[in-house]
Parts: sequence; C-alpha cells; structure tokens
Amino acid sequence: MKRIVTLGVTLAMLGWAGCPAAQAQARLCDKPRQMEGFKTCANVEKAEAEGAFVLYSTDPEQGQVKLLAAFNKLFPNIKTSYVRLQAGALYAKVLSERQAKSFLVDVIQISDMGMILDFQRRGGFRQYISPEMAAYKPEYKSQPEGFWTWGSIIMGGIAYNPNNVPAAEAPKKWEDLLDPKWTDAINVKVSNSGLQHGVWYMLKPILGDEYFKKFAAVKPKAFDSYVQQYGRLVDGQDKIIMGAQYSGYIEFKAKGAPLAFVFPETGVPAVSETYGIVADGPHPNAADLFMDWFLSPPGQKALSDALLLHSPRDDVPAPAGSVLLKDMKLLVPADWNAFEKDRPSFAKEWDRIVGARR
Amino acid sequence: MSSTRIDVKDLVIHYGDAVAVNGVSFTVGRGEHVTLLGPSGCGKTTTLRAIAGLEKPSGGSIHIDGQPIYDASARKNVPTEQRGVSMVFQSYAIWPHMTVFDNVAYGLRVRKQGKAEIAASVERALDLVQMRHLGDRSASKLSGGQQQRVALARAVAFSPTVVLFDEPLSNLDAKLRAEMRVELRELQRRLDITSVYVTHDQEEALAISDRVIVMNVGVIEQIGSPEAIYNSPRNRFVADFVGSANILKGRLAKAPAGSGAHMFEADGDVSLRVTAPHAVRGDETAVAVRTAYIDLEPRAGDNHVGGTVRQRMFHGDFVQYIVDCPCGNVIVRRPPTNLLDEGATVTLSFSPEHCVLLES
Amino acid sequence: MGPDRRRASLRLFPTGARRVSRPRFNWQIGVTLTVLVIVSFLVLLPMVFLVGESLNTGDPMAFPPTEFGIENYIAMFDEDLHVLTNTVIIAVMATVMAILIGFTLAWILTRTNVPGRETLERLLELPYYMTPLVGALAWAVLASPKSGFFNQLWQALGGRGDLFNVYSMFGIAWIMALFEGTVAFVMISASMKSMDPALEESARVMGASKLRTALTVTLPLVMPGVLGATLFVFAEMLGSFAAALVIGIPARVYVITTAIWDSTLAYPPAYGRASAMGLALFGVMFGMLTFYRWVVNRGSFATITGKAFRPRPMDMGRLAWLLLGLCLLYILLAVVLPIAALVITSLERFATALLAQAQFTLANYHTAFSLGPVRTAMVNSLLLGFGVASVGVLVMALLVWTIYRSQLMGRGAIEYLAMFPQAVPRLVFGLALLWAWINMPIPIYGTLWLLALAYFTVMLPIGVRTLAGVVLQIDKSLEECARVCGAGWGYQLRTVTLPLLKPGVIAAWLLIFMACVRELGVSVFLMGPNAKVIAPSIVNAFATSGVELTAAMALIQTFTVIVALVILFRLTRGMTKEMT
Repeated sequence: MKRIVTLGVTLAMLGWAGCPAAQAQARLCDKPRQMEGFKTCANVEKAEAEGAFVLYSTDPEQGQVKLLAAFNKLFPNIKTSYVRLQAGALYAKVLSERQAKSFLVDVIQISDMGMILDFQRRGGFRQYISPEMAAYKPEYKSQPEGFWTWGSIIMGGIAYNPNNVPAAEAPKKWEDLLDPKWTDAINVKVSNSGLQHGVWYMLKPILGDEYFKKFAAVKPKAFDSYVQQYGRLVDGQDKIIMGAQYSGYIEFKAKGAPLAFVFPETGVPAVSETYGIVADGPHPNAADLFMDWFLSPPGQKALSDALLLHSPRDDVPAPAGSVLLKDMKLLVPADWNAFEKDRPSFAKEWDRIVGARR
Repeated sequence: MSSTRIDVKDLVIHYGDAVAVNGVSFTVGRGEHVTLLGPSGCGKTTTLRAIAGLEKPSGGSIHIDGQPIYDASARKNVPTEQRGVSMVFQSYAIWPHMTVFDNVAYGLRVRKQGKAEIAASVERALDLVQMRHLGDRSASKLSGGQQQRVALARAVAFSPTVVLFDEPLSNLDAKLRAEMRVELRELQRRLDITSVYVTHDQEEALAISDRVIVMNVGVIEQIGSPEAIYNSPRNRFVADFVGSANILKGRLAKAPAGSGAHMFEADGDVSLRVTAPHAVRGDETAVAVRTAYIDLEPRAGDNHVGGTVRQRMFHGDFVQYIVDCPCGNVIVRRPPTNLLDEGATVTLSFSPEHCVLLES
Repeated sequence: MGPDRRRASLRLFPTGARRVSRPRFNWQIGVTLTVLVIVSFLVLLPMVFLVGESLNTGDPMAFPPTEFGIENYIAMFDEDLHVLTNTVIIAVMATVMAILIGFTLAWILTRTNVPGRETLERLLELPYYMTPLVGALAWAVLASPKSGFFNQLWQALGGRGDLFNVYSMFGIAWIMALFEGTVAFVMISASMKSMDPALEESARVMGASKLRTALTVTLPLVMPGVLGATLFVFAEMLGSFAAALVIGIPARVYVITTAIWDSTLAYPPAYGRASAMGLALFGVMFGMLTFYRWVVNRGSFATITGKAFRPRPMDMGRLAWLLLGLCLLYILLAVVLPIAALVITSLERFATALLAQAQFTLANYHTAFSLGPVRTAMVNSLLLGFGVASVGVLVMALLVWTIYRSQLMGRGAIEYLAMFPQAVPRLVFGLALLWAWINMPIPIYGTLWLLALAYFTVMLPIGVRTLAGVVLQIDKSLEECARVCGAGWGYQLRTVTLPLLKPGVIAAWLLIFMACVRELGVSVFLMGPNAKVIAPSIVNAFATSGVELTAAMALIQTFTVIVALVILFRLTRGMTKEMT
C-alpha cells in the first residue's frame, strides 16, 4: 500500500513537474500585507495601476456583478468585467482565446473539476500562493497549492413548487422521479454543467445503471442555468428540478418564490466551483489581489451574499436560512481524474436523455 | 493660320467586336457648322463622342487646330478634360443638385476664373438663351425646354472654340424644336463657334448646317452643303434618307444626249434625260427624282411621264399624290391648291437637272 | 442592319455601361486593387478556414488540422439527420406562412381600395423594427404553455389545457413567418406594382368578372415575383437563428443553426462538426439564391418593364373593411401584442402563472440599467453601428463606383465578392470568422475591432445594393459633362458624383446602422469580456436570468434603436430636402 502511495505521489509530482513553460515553483511571500480583513501578497499599487480585472465564471450574471461590486468597493480604481457561460462553453472559450493568443481573462471559475485539471495540465494556471490558502483543507486546493482553489461547494437535490405539486405526491427520494406522472414536467441542467456531471457521476453507482435509462423516459428538459430552471418552477411550466442547485433555491426563496427543497436520504451530489489565476493574464497583480480577497472571510462572505453559496472555509457562516454543510450528506467524487475521464461519455449519454442533438 | 479647326482622319472605333465607325475622315473649318446625319447605329454619335474624348478609337487620328488630340500611330490620347471642347448632351445632363447659375459656371470654375469674371460670363451666357431671370433657381425645377437652354448656356459660357451637339433637340416637341433650331443657328453665327452637330432628323440637318455629312453603318456616304446633298444625292441611301425621293430603275443608254445630260431607259419603256453630278461609270441602274420637283402640268424642256392618280393624301402644308406610271408608282408632292381627283390622268413633268443619276 | 448591330454590341455590356474612354490613372487602379484585395481577404479567407476545419477529423482545436477526412459530413447524416429534417420542415412551414401573409397583405394594399392605405403602408414597416429575437421572446411570453397570456386567458374563460404551445416546431415556424412576412410583403407588392393595369382592364372589357380576372390574368402574371419571394424567404428561413434559439432549445427542437451553435458550446468544442454543418447549410442557401437570381432575371413576362404603374384598385365594397381588419390583425400579432407582452413581463417581479399573482415592480429596469455589461453592451452596439456605417458607406461608395462606373478589369469579381456574404448564413459566417481569427497571428479576437470587421463584411451586400440602386440611376452624361467641362476625376467625383449619391448614402447608412445594432449571428461568436454587444446579451439573459429581466433588456434595445433612428431621420430630412 505504502509503495503504491509513494508511486502515486511520485507520478503526481512528475505530472506536475511536466508542466510546460517556465513555471518556477512559487512560494508564499515573506511579509504579507494586511488589508481590510484579509492578507495579501500582491503588489497593491501595481494592481491599482493596472486598473482592471476580468473574471470568467459559470455563476449567473447578477451574482457575479454583486461579487465584483464588493471587490470594486474596496478598490475603486480597479474596473471589473466578466463573462458568464456554462462550464463547457466557458472552458471552450478560454481554450480558444489562448489558441488565438488573445489573453483577455485574469481569473476563471469552472464548476467542473475535470476541466480544471485539464487546464492545469496544459499549464493554463499561474501558481500564486495566497496567505489565505492556509485556511483551506488540502482536498479543497491544488497540490502543490496555488494553482487552483475551491471557491464554493454546490450541491444538487430535488426542488418543486408546492403550489403545483400537492404534498402527498411530493418526491422524497431520487427514485420517486421515475414515476411516469412526472413526464414532461422535470427539468435538469445541460450536459455542459459541472454540477449535472457530478449528479450523474455520483448517483449512477448508487442507484444503478437502469436509473438513468428509466429517467430518460420522463423526458426531462435541459437548461443552461438554475435561474431558468427555478423560473419555470415558479411560473408552472415545469414541476420538479432534478439535481436542483441548492444555492438557487435559497436565492429564489429569499425573493419570495413558492418553492420546496428535498435532501434525499441517499445523499446530495456535490461539486466545487473552482477558481484559479490564468497564466499570461492581462492584469496579473490585480488577479493576485482579487484571489487574496476572494479566498478570505470577507471575500467569501461577499460570495455568499451575492450567490447564496456555501464556502469551503469553516470560519465563514453558511448563507442565511440554509442548511449547514456538515448537516448534509454530501456525495463528492473521490477521484477527480476518473471524474474527468467520465465527462465525454456523460455528455453523450446526457444529451441523448434530454433530447439534445445526439 | 489654317482655316481648318477639326481634322478627323481615318477614324476607326470598335464597340466590342463590332465596328461602329469604319474609317471616317472629314474636316471642319473655323466657324463652320457641320452636321453628322444618319439613322441610329450609323456611328455619328460615336464619332462625336470620340472628338470629345468619351470614346476610345482603335485607329486614325483627330487634330484640333493642328494639334493632335488623338493619334493612334503616336499612341496619343488627350484626356477629355484637357481637350477644351464643349458639348451639349442629348439628355442635357443638367446637374439637379446645383442652381442654374452653378451649372453654367461649372466650366469657368474648373478653369479657376475670378468670381467677378465668372458672374459676368454666366450672365452673358444666360442672356444669350434668355434664361437670365432663372439664374438662382434650382436646376431640378426646370422644364425640358429650359434645361435645354441652360445646357446651351453652360456649353458656351467658357467661350470654347468647338462645341459638340449630341442630338440636343430630339427630346423637345415639334414646335419647340423648330423654334430652337432658329435660335441655335443665331447663336452659333453670333459667337462664331465651330460646331459639330449630330442628328437623325434630316430636316434639321438641312436647315441649320453649313455642311452635312451623311453617315451609314460606320462610313460616310456623302459630304456636301445642304443644297448639294438634297439636289445631288450620290446614292440610293442618301436619296432615300434625305428628303423624299422617287427611285426609278432602269439602264443607262449608250449615247449621251449632249450638253452634259445622259439618256436613261427607265422600266416601262420610259426614256428620261438625266444629270450625273458624279463621274459616270456606265453601270448605273437608278435615278432619283425629288417628289417636290415634279410638276403636274407639262413644261417645255422637261421629261414628261404620263400616269393616273391612284391615291391622294392631304398633309396640310402639301398634298401627296401616288401616280401610277409605266415606270412604276411615282410620288408627287405639291402645294395644296388645285387638287386632282383620284383616277384622274396626269402628265408628270420634271427637268433633267432634277433627275439625278445615282451611283451604283 | 444598323439597329441590329447596335443591339448586338450593347449586349456585351451587361452592366449597362457604355464604353467610356478614360485614361488610366495609376493611383485610381492602385486604390481599387487594394480594395479588391481587402474585400477578398475579409470575405473569402474565413470561408477557406471553415472549409479546412470541416475536414478536420482529429483534435477539433488543432490548427492546422492533423487529420483530414469527410467524417464530419458523414456524421451529419448519420447522427444529426433529425436536425436536418427539422430544419427543412420548419423552413417549409415558415415559408408557406410567410408567403401567405406577404401575398395577402400585398394584394390588399396594392390591388384593393382598402381604406387608409397610406397609413397601413407606414404601419406595415413596424414589424421590421422588431427583431426576430425580440419577437421570439415576446411570443414565448404570449403563448408558452400554462403561463402564456393566451393560455391564461383561455383558462380564465373556462377552457381546459392549453390553447397554444409555442414550444413546438409550428411555434418556431409561426414566429419566423410573422416577422419574415414583411419581407415577403415588400417583394411581392413590388412585383404587383410593376404590372401594367391595362392587362387586367382588357380582361374586364372582354367580360371577365373580378374573380376570373384575378385568377386568370393577375395571378399568373405575378407568379414569377411570388416564386422569387418564396425562394428568397426559404433561403432565409434555413439560416434563421433567433427564433430557433429562444424557442427551439427549450422545446428540444434543434435545427441546423442551433446545432452549430450548440457544437461550439460543448467541451471539447466540436468545431469540425460545426464547420461541416455550416458549409452544408451554406451550400444549400447558395444554391437557392442562385436559383432565385436565375428565376428573377429570366422573368420573361413582359409586365416587368421597369416603369412603375399605378394599378387601379378594385372596389371591394363592404369587404374592404374586412381586409382592413386583416391588415390590422397582422400588426396586432406582429407588433402590438408582443410589445405589450414584453412591457407587462418586464414590470413583473416573477413572470408568474397568474396575472392575479403578479407583483409589479420597476426593479427589472433598474437592474438592466445598472448591469454594467448591459450598459456597455448597448453603448458598444451603438458605437459599432455608427462606426461601421460611417466608414462602411465610404468604402462601399468607392466599391460601387468601381463596379458600375469604372473600366477596371475584374470589377465583376468585386461585385460578386461584395454580394457573397448574402449567401452565407450569418451564424456560419460568424463561425468562420471565429475559426479564422483564432488562428491568425493578429490578436484581435475578442475585441471590438474584430466585431467591426465582421459587421462591415456581412453588411457589404446591404450597403452595396442600396448604393448601386442610386448610382445606376445617375445618368452617365452628368458625369461625362463634368469631364467635358474640364473637371478631372477627383473634382468630378467631389462636385457631381458624391452630391448626387447623397440620398443613397444616407439610406445605406441608416440600414447599416440598424442592422449592426441588431446583429446576433456573427456577434455570438466573436464577443469578448470587453466587447459585448446587445443582442447576444439579451440571448444570454434569456438563458441565465429571468425572463422578466430579459424582457426589460429587449425593450430597452428596441426603444433605443427607434429613438436613434427618429433622431437620425430628423437630421437627414434636412439634408435630403435640398435635393428635391
């Protein structure tokens, strides 16, 4: 066993060492600067001189706007801009831009760990060790640290509108969704989504291969964002969301929407929203500064306020009105490499299930 | 100084593969008004535009005042704007976005004349065409006749030595056309302009020209004064195209009849004494007799041909008879007095001078 | 013999130009050659890249492709056959409906004495200001199952289930037809207007009834025009994107354009497959448009004499009011209802199932205006509109002059190149540009400059066509006369040609400006974080934000365009007044 682990670690280290181009091992700076509520190793003056910061993320636009506004409040000289796309599309865009030698983005967030690992392998991330990373457990960040870090944890359960679904019929288990009476009334996320991949990947071994074959029979409809999904629940076009993003539920509930959320006993699949600084980005100092702020308690709080997301940090409270992480039965993939390899077959199968192109 | 202004030699112009002008040569003297006359497609407009530099010939040469402006052998082709000839277009080409004044002043402004001079020249030009009161009007608000006058004023405003006219009157109605002809002639005489004029209207050509050049399918059929063209047409085409003529077929008799006249045996055994303004070859087969020159009453010394009136048509200014004669149908045009009835017998009378032998 | 000769020689000059002797200024040739090179670079090069990528059977992101083959094309028929059949079915449905709408409206307006004709003609221009995107959004709100306004009304009246479900193939076709109907209307009414009324009058004199005349004389004579319009509309429907995107994807109905779009959004992006589909679509569209050109030019029906006739309208008696109602119904369906639906939705907190439950708020507009990207996107769109239109008309004027008035060899090729983008569906061209500029050494991908270049290229047909119409109307003798008066090429251009082109230039500018602000197909591919434009932002909002916010954004876009146009119309009316 020990030999295997050693072998594994050696291979992993070889893998990281195989990163192309000059990526000298970064280290934590000697004297981090104390800012309002967080420590930074970034050169703040240079960051402000750069004057801009670009984020690509899968989170809904309004949430990103709020998050970036909080950053901008602290550093008014740094103008922020963003692009929102679902994980697959986002990653495709980033790769295309790099191929075009157009370096437009500073930090990316992708909700699919497979893509994160792939990007790291291509040398897409720049290693930057933030003083705040110490607060993150090893499984929440890259080894060695500094390439990517989990910004939040998202989990998918079952959601429905109690106005349209009487309590007696309300689903309680994943298997309840196979009932033919839910035909044409369930929506899910598109195959591009990291969370949806997580749902598939974790539930398949537990519920069996037959589950998703039967699930196809209820003809679920796929959407790009949880905003659409919950919107259709509210206006009655759909009745149930399978793999409903919990943060979306919190968000809509806070706005007064009639919704109910179920944590099935089997557990709720969970994945991460992972952030990393992109190599050759246009504003490297601003990127470092953002990362330090973002990973700190004030930054995580801002994220939680903007998007109702759960922070991986223990010292950041969960969004108001939500269940705590430790109280959930989270189903997280153990081996992200295997998770990554599963993506192509997941995409193909899922597209078939939701009646997309193939 | 030579009295020849324009000298066109062996001009050849192609339209794609077709030959529009096939070796045309003529001269225009100072102050002369020469008309290129012919049916559409004869190459008259093409020739005119070549003088202006708007068509590129394939061969020959054009000289103005002794200077070559086009010379195929010397590969010389002076661009339009440097030739200094003026032109009146068939469509008038009045610029609608300028006033009358600006239209007329254009050529002067190009030549960078002073404001005062320009104003004076424009006034003078507009005076000549009686358009002075409309100087400030927008050119898009002019009638056809007014546009024509403005085009004329514009053409002469910068005192060119040569003015080219491309069927300028063809878009006017008959009455206006007649009036304008007179004015045009007046203008040309007064300003002593050398003009080359293109028209398909033979009446117009005869009325205003010093010399007429009759063209047909790219070649010149005849050059001469209006009277010469009318009275002594060289061939069938000119006889037919200019004025109204009877073509009588037959054969030239062997022996000349003395005093310059020849004997012509027309069909139907009719002997005529004819004149030959051109060198006689001996194989001529047609004579032309102008319809206006035929009398209905025999006169001494004339050719006499008997016939019956087949048809009478009253044209207002003249009456036209179609007379059945042994040599064929003869058309006669007479003043509308003493009308003859259809069916009446009549003896047609015309002098040998008016009976012209046509080239074969 | 003479006249025949002339006719023969004139046939050698199909553009109607007479041979004008013009000495070769070298710099004139230099300028036009440069323009030719630039235009081919902009228009053809992306297509070349696209062809190359469609044959890529290896790593889709690799450039140049490592493996070649036609697998992508084969896979299209293998795996995506239902996409192809969907496309054709929807296009056929939409074309039939659009032609019916267009024909009916054209008939009513040109051949009958329907009351208020001038007002109606003006009103029928309105749907043009509604982009298909906005229309699709509006109809999603109007006719979606359960929550759509129509269905709510139906249920309120006691009906059960849904009256309409816009999320279907028919729904997509209906929206496309509704907005393409105006194009069909314009084309068919143009062909109806050019018919000599004497042809119908002689039939009536012979004793034929109104109906008989209509069926035996009028209909056969306008058929070529209708056929032409059908072909044109069908080609457009094949390449239509907005309605399929908004309505089709939720309905799980994919057509070729949304399939292309979808291919590029997955990881790894299937550029090879997308390119193959794009080229297939392009091929079909190209074929249809060529066929259309052939039909129109062959129109041997002697009615099209080029003169505009004023056909005598038929007296319809009391039916005229019914016809008026039909026209107004169209305006209602295409403009009034959609705008109303959007307004209501944009003011709602949640687009809820029951209006009774609705909570109204201005928050959506507040959000829309405060969302930096929305503001930036609107500003970018307007900026691009101004810039591309202004630079574009100058370049296009030069192009048009070169094509129709100069003697440059190969000017026919320039004309062909300039009109080429018309045959390429916008989305496909966007993809080609994406792929081309990703791999070219100049890093303008993701910037406004690339968008500007792309807009300019796809607007070439519009601008060139408008300007050509004006140029061809200018009598050549106006320019020749200037030359005869002694003006050089430059002076003549400045004092005669350009002033006469002014109305056309203004018209072209306005058309290009509006088209740029509404542009979707090319923009979706080429945007960057700092180069967002409004139409794709609206699409994005539909996918990721609530439909309420989207409605607000769509209305902001529509009204901004209208306001800009009104301002521009006021400004230019002064300019064009001088001309008349």
